[in-house]
Amino acid sequence: MNGTPAQLVLQDRRIAYAIADRNLQVVEVGGAPDLLGEDAVSCLGRALVDLVPELVGSEDALAEILDGARERFQLDWVNREVAGRILYLTMVDLPLRSPGGRVAGLIHIVQDTTEMGILGQELAQRRNELRLLYDQLARRNRELAAANAELRRLDEIKSTFVSVSAHELRTPLSLITGYLEMLLEENFGPLNPDQRECLETVQRSAHRLWGLVNNLLDVTRIEAGRIELTLRPTNLAALVERVVAEFRPQLEARAQRLALQVPPGLPPALCDETRAAQIIGNLLSNASKYTPEGGRITIALSPAAEEGFLQLAVADTGVGISPDDRTHLFDRFFRSRAAVQGKVEGLGLGLYIARSLVELHGGRIWVESEPGRGSTFYVTFPVAGPAGDTPPLGETGPGPRAAG
Amino acid sequence: MATAISKKVCLLGDFAVGKTSLVRRFVYNLFNDKYLSTIGVKVSRKAVAVPRGDDVVELSMMLWDLAGSEEFSQLRDSYLRGAAGAVLVCDLTRPETLESLRSYAEDLLRISPGARLILAANKRDLTDQQRLTPQQIEAVAADLHAPCYLTSAKTGEEVEALFRRLGQMLVEAAPGTGR
Repeated sequence: MNGTPAQLVLQDRRIAYAIADRNLQVVEVGGAPDLLGEDAVSCLGRALVDLVPELVGSEDALAEILDGARERFQLDWVNREVAGRILYLTMVDLPLRSPGGRVAGLIHIVQDTTEMGILGQELAQRRNELRLLYDQLARRNRELAAANAELRRLDEIKSTFVSVSAHELRTPLSLITGYLEMLLEENFGPLNPDQRECLETVQRSAHRLWGLVNNLLDVTRIEAGRIELTLRPTNLAALVERVVAEFRPQLEARAQRLALQVPPGLPPALCDETRAAQIIGNLLSNASKYTPEGGRITIALSPAAEEGFLQLAVADTGVGISPDDRTHLFDRFFRSRAAVQGKVEGLGLGLYIARSLVELHGGRIWVESEPGRGSTFYVTFPVAGPAGDTPPLGETGPGPRAAG
Repeated sequence: MATAISKKVCLLGDFAVGKTSLVRRFVYNLFNDKYLSTIGVKVSRKAVAVPRGDDVVELSMMLWDLAGSEEFSQLRDSYLRGAAGAVLVCDLTRPETLESLRSYAEDLLRISPGARLILAANKRDLTDQQRLTPQQIEAVAADLHAPCYLTSAKTGEEVEALFRRLGQMLVEAAPGTGR
């Protein structure tokens, strides 16, 4: 058949065939020679399964064809490695009938489907790689979720511990501070100067302890979502003045000058007076702690860049904050390098509480700082009512004022 | 004179569990780390001598390495036809590949009810990533009445033993004569 039109068609279409008799012995081969293996011709007279090992195990199917019980047997996507490259083949076995209609044997047809096979393989490859990646990610997500759940559980245990401990500390602290006040008021008799000095030292420590306990309680309340604000129109300038007055002894002790800048006609802020005072107090306390003796602190109030907000800025001439520390400054229990090196007291909760409270008000808090030159903390509070609708608070006072 | 028989053995399991690598290790003693998806089927032949009584059977194992992706599940029936045995392969680092062996075994036994099964828990070399315990593997193997081996196509551990054991099972199940 070599060179015949039929052979040319088979070779061009990449098809080969083998004809087997009723004993499944190969009696003829033709078409594209490489599809049946290089030694196809030598298989003439031998078993078809020797020529096509993929048919091992399918002898019963071939027998069914010979018996007329089956019209075809087909295997798709059969991989064969030929000369180092993979061929993808479709194999079909069909009955060969004599003119009388009797099945005289079968024809095994092999068609090269490599082009499609390569595309299919690439597609399967990509899809399987994606599935593996997806499975890995899903597994990692499950692990992370489990780790998160465990962390949350531990965090809850810690919060409960902190909350219970802080509450338990309040009762004895109340007694200590109460009796200290009575002693200092000389309710139990006069004090000599040494006794007074000792008791005042104890009282300062007790107050500091009160501050720490209250901060811990605030943290647990913030995390439990149990902080409630009583929002009222508030004269922010007056509030700042009140806080400054409370800090005056501390500022004077460190010979720090404080300037308060308030432009005329500022509207009232919508805030919880107690919590806003706490925010301002935390910022002012930090400014004083991190500013050397004789340094300067400025508190400025102004309309914020964001419409409907007032801005409070607390600037100091202190040690400043490194960019690394700025990233974590508002995190819970974060202690800056300056705090650790300068042995500044505190738990690292003040700014975390300040941020949480500011955000509860719907405002923002941020810091600008240059190490060695000082820091400025900015806080915004919403204006009470639509901007411009609320009359200015006359008591705010005219123009910039200085205190301290 | 040794008896010669030829048996069809299918490798079944999810994609990327190492079916092609196991065949490659057993037939050519080679391993390639790069994952190449198989589509369709690749048939390899490996002859092993299996003792049977005073005789030695020359068993020609026709190893059918089948695609693991479910796109080929419709074609699987024709691939499974006439299988005398199967290696059920799972990946020790992917627990889901063990459970799916039950459905592969079910499919095979529906088409070839007398097929002998053996279980290969592959990739034992990835010790720090293993997520299947021997107990889990043994439980599935017991349900399928299949011996199990912890294999590594990469290092070759237990691969030869796995196929030899299956060869023994096939010879024991075969009638005295070959094809």
